[in-house]
Amino acid sequence: MTVRVLIADDQVMVRQGFTVLLNAEPDIEVVGQAVDGLDAVAMVDELVPDVVLMDIRMPRLGGIEATRRITGHADAAAKVLVLTTFDLDEYVYEALRAGASGFLLKDASAEELAHAVRVVAAGDALLAPNLTKRLIAEYARLAGTPRMPAKGRIGDLTERETEVLSLIAQGLSNAEIAAGLVVAEQTVKTHVGRILVKLSLRDRTQAAVYAYECGLIRPTGY
Amino acid sequence: MSGVDQVRKGRGGRIGPALRAVPRTLRDDLWRARPDPLPPGWRDWQPAMVLLVAFAVFPTGILGINQAIWQYGLGQGPGVVLGSIPPLAVVYAVRRPLPAWWAVTVTMVLIAVLAKPRSPQMYPWTGTGLALHAAALFVLALRMRPRIAAEALAISVLVGAVCTVAAAPVHNPDLYQATLIFSVTVLVGAALRGRGVARNQLVAQAELTAEERSRRTLLEERTRIARELHDVVAHHMSVISIQAQVAPHLVDDPSDALRENLAGIRTNAVDALAELRRVLGVLRSEDDLSIGMRHTPQPTLERLPELVENVRGAGVDVDTRITGERRPLSPGVELSAFRIVQEALSNVLRHAPGAAIRVEVGYQATGLALRVANTAPPATDVAAAAGAAGGGHGLLGMRERVAMLGGEFADGPIPGGGYEVVARLPLGSGS
Repeated sequence: MTVRVLIADDQVMVRQGFTVLLNAEPDIEVVGQAVDGLDAVAMVDELVPDVVLMDIRMPRLGGIEATRRITGHADAAAKVLVLTTFDLDEYVYEALRAGASGFLLKDASAEELAHAVRVVAAGDALLAPNLTKRLIAEYARLAGTPRMPAKGRIGDLTERETEVLSLIAQGLSNAEIAAGLVVAEQTVKTHVGRILVKLSLRDRTQAAVYAYECGLIRPTGY
Repeated sequence: MSGVDQVRKGRGGRIGPALRAVPRTLRDDLWRARPDPLPPGWRDWQPAMVLLVAFAVFPTGILGINQAIWQYGLGQGPGVVLGSIPPLAVVYAVRRPLPAWWAVTVTMVLIAVLAKPRSPQMYPWTGTGLALHAAALFVLALRMRPRIAAEALAISVLVGAVCTVAAAPVHNPDLYQATLIFSVTVLVGAALRGRGVARNQLVAQAELTAEERSRRTLLEERTRIARELHDVVAHHMSVISIQAQVAPHLVDDPSDALRENLAGIRTNAVDALAELRRVLGVLRSEDDLSIGMRHTPQPTLERLPELVENVRGAGVDVDTRITGERRPLSPGVELSAFRIVQEALSNVLRHAPGAAIRVEVGYQATGLALRVANTAPPATDVAAAAGAAGGGHGLLGMRERVAMLGGEFADGPIPGGGYEVVARLPLGSGS
């Protein structure tokens, strides 16, 4: 099964470069290139890609708002992977809160790029777990950050599900969680699915943000 | 006496040196000390003040000479000399209060010694002598430290008392009166001086704060500009790193040398990016960037029409004129040019609301010329414009941007009541 990718960036060199690099992978296909946020939103509706590589800074409509529009539907299938020149940036965090599934530095290597697309498409693990965790921990603790709208309530989770949620937030993949709890990976998948449904979250990145923002996980070391 | 002796023995270690220091302190205070400098605003008025004091003192002086000659029986010669010293000294006190006070005091002693008084009244001072002595003390207290004023007061009273006791044929209650007059005079003088000093300190403090603020503003502005420029570089660097990775895919069978070379380019770009991220992390401040700025690419002159349109939207008459062949310039120049025009426009909106604006961009062979000029604001709006203080921040930023690129900058009023900002940015070799 090939992963269908849409690239949204206002710089033609970046679009073409990523297209060449991703098309070189047998299991990834770039299906379109958008020049700005509005274009990206329109092309997602039209092409239904699995993953959108989204630049944050674009004219007309920025990447964060475009991400919000793309992932806003309840039935939105496309996952957004945010491209950034600067990591650990509050705008990257904004993008995650807006619904992005992960972020990637623009100067990532071809392997990192392909890996990121696959991980985000599969949704079994956080992308760059340590970095993502640090980003979320750093910005979730900032005073004045509005809490995530309480879509579902953490009280609705069972004890086991709460435990799984905190492990997700710590950046563990399904396989790692299964090994840690000594259960089958399929069981973990079921738990994760239930957590996302109960809390109305779209993926584990959002679950991690949720866990930090609702205080289930207390950032340490910052 | 025994009490003093006991104290001396008990605290000999401390009081001994303290007492020994007294003559030296007195010498420093009453001989060498310089008066406070006059406040800057007063310096120009010093001759006028001298004249004013001279006029005020003149009749007193005449009266004093008369008293010295007749009442104190000094005779014509010494009477005129000794009688004219105190008034002259008081005039001189405006410049140097300390010697003036000495002159008055010594004269007082001389008169007391030489006098053959016809009546015991007002001894050792003549009536006018008392007034002039008080005036000298007043000026001294006004211009010198309170300690010096207190010492001068004490010496004046002491010398007066000695003169009274040693020379007066009868007990004279005028000494108490003199002491009271001198004390009040010195007190008032010292209090006025204290108020002046406090005000000067306040002014100095305010100046310091203003200086500090302007320095901080400059630094903030530089940081903001540096951040923007670094940001532009970082974006270009990331494109280089992508392109270096893509290039081998574009040829059919890339040689090892080519791969190696491109890998080298990529490594360097990635290293440079890592450095840039560090610099930008340092430059990043909490509040410098509006959200919109980071969500959109750094602006270039291509967005000038958009900018002008926004200003027109605010109801302002903006005329744009572009001369020369329009072409893309180096990103730093493009960004700076856009920001300069942007700042200039917002300055006009702030300080000359309602004025018509003309924006000129000239693409020249070696540089980019910018000029933003506005007409005089409508008369009714002048008050509003004057009220919108706190300007200069924008100009500072423009100046800094131009300086960073090695260009020239000028701003100032133009005939007809308008204002203009002119900048010339060199293009360098990169474009």
